[in-house]
Amino acid sequence: MTDLARIQQAFMALLNGTDQDLINHIAPQPGLDAEHRALIYQNAYRIRLTKVLEQDHEMLGRYLGDDLFDDMVTGYLAQYPSNDPSLRHFGDKLPHFLATQLPFSEHGILSEIALFERLLLQAFDAPDTKRLALSDIQQIPADLWPNVVFSLHPSARLLRCQFAAIESWQALKHGNPPPSPELESEHFWLVIREADLRTAFHPLSQHEYQCLQSMERGLPFSFVCEAAANIHQDAESGALAVMQLLQKALTANWLGDYQLP
Amino acid sequence: MDLTLNTSPPYLGFGLGLRTCYFEDIIDSQPEVDWFEIISENYFVEGGKPWHYLDQIKERYPIAMHGVSMSIGSTTEVNFDYLRDLKRTIARIRPVWVSDHLCFSSIGDFNSHDLLPLPYTEEALTHLCDRLRIIQDYLEHPLILENVSSYLTYHQSQMTEWDFLASLHQQSGCQFLLDINNVYVSARNHGFDAMDYLNAIPQQAVAQIHLAGHSDFGSHIVDTHDQPVCDAVWQLFQRYAQSRLPINTMIERDDNFPPFDSLMAELNQARKLAPLNWSSND
Repeated sequence: MTDLARIQQAFMALLNGTDQDLINHIAPQPGLDAEHRALIYQNAYRIRLTKVLEQDHEMLGRYLGDDLFDDMVTGYLAQYPSNDPSLRHFGDKLPHFLATQLPFSEHGILSEIALFERLLLQAFDAPDTKRLALSDIQQIPADLWPNVVFSLHPSARLLRCQFAAIESWQALKHGNPPPSPELESEHFWLVIREADLRTAFHPLSQHEYQCLQSMERGLPFSFVCEAAANIHQDAESGALAVMQLLQKALTANWLGDYQLP
Repeated sequence: MDLTLNTSPPYLGFGLGLRTCYFEDIIDSQPEVDWFEIISENYFVEGGKPWHYLDQIKERYPIAMHGVSMSIGSTTEVNFDYLRDLKRTIARIRPVWVSDHLCFSSIGDFNSHDLLPLPYTEEALTHLCDRLRIIQDYLEHPLILENVSSYLTYHQSQMTEWDFLASLHQQSGCQFLLDINNVYVSARNHGFDAMDYLNAIPQQAVAQIHLAGHSDFGSHIVDTHDQPVCDAVWQLFQRYAQSRLPINTMIERDDNFPPFDSLMAELNQARKLAPLNWSSND
């Protein structure tokens, strides 16, 4: 290994806390000693990445409180140091970390709040594409409808919650105490960047969630209707429900495009 | 291919760092700013607000691109995924120039997100010349490099930082973004004379100047970019500028953002302190 490579490896080992050898490479100077000079970089590394998680997960931070949030950062940094040049992706594995690491994994709502906040970030700067309008789909020939594939706008993200994650996020955002994390049944949400660029989220019924999920997976319209028929236990009311959802999605600008077979 | 020798950026005048909190101020008031500098990586995204606002601003103002994550000094492989994103962003923005930092910030997959100093050795010099050639060939665009502030020096260093920069320019033709605040910070932290540094860099090697603020902790100062430019840095800029031909000069602020008018006041202070022949970009 060259001198340059050795110094760089030592520097990274210092930052991730595995080795202090860099101190032996630091030249003595008046003022601060080598340990203090190294400490400036160690502190800056931790402060910078902590700040990223604080900014990206503000409501999670409020839910956890300062001490638990610091514990989370320490554990996360040790397990998932940044491996992307963009800080935007540093927290991508945070929902997984919270779902799998004690004591956080004992509270499923934490992972869901973190995931919701990551979906908001993804929606914020997702690609810009046109939004599908009613007039666009009126041009689809009737015989092609079964095989037409609708796609959601690229900023749209579907979320299924077992806990009151979004309700808690909203309460904290408005400075109120969060509700009980337990839900009687699952809640379903759509996160999307609106046409005016605001990032928004909308509650969905289970039926709406499953139909939009079918579209997200690229299934043709007949499959979407079939899924709805299974939920409604009747093909006709299933198809009616899908048409109502389609109208709602078009009015709300949730769809990006469609493809004909 | 040597892209650096004959491609000095044009003199545009006095610019500001473009940050999201100022988007609407700039679009609404169309301030008297000669150019803006963006953080390149903030636009490695597909759409949404960042591009919505930048597209409007770049219609009226020249845009320079300034990266923080290239890690040109790293001894691990060049990150071509990163360069692909950068090249795509350059093609979309068509910037007046592109810069990053003279440092390393990552080793393999580990990203420190800091601007870590290199040892000033012949080995590092050769390494940087090689990397510059590879990166510029790939980007098909010259790259300007900024001096970073530092809090330590290495036993292994064989020359001063300013001799290192001058040698790099001599060997590669590379131009620099001279951050006068960073020179001041390092001068205080290492005990050298900032003017020795500034005077050692040939005029033709300097494409741009950054002016920024820092935090003074008594025993050392940290390049935080969250304060106004301090008097000592203004004085250094004035002394440096007085005998130089015009150099693109910019106020850089990255945290603790003041109202936009305050930044404009700092920009106008830079205009006031610069020699008269810096005041026109005609």
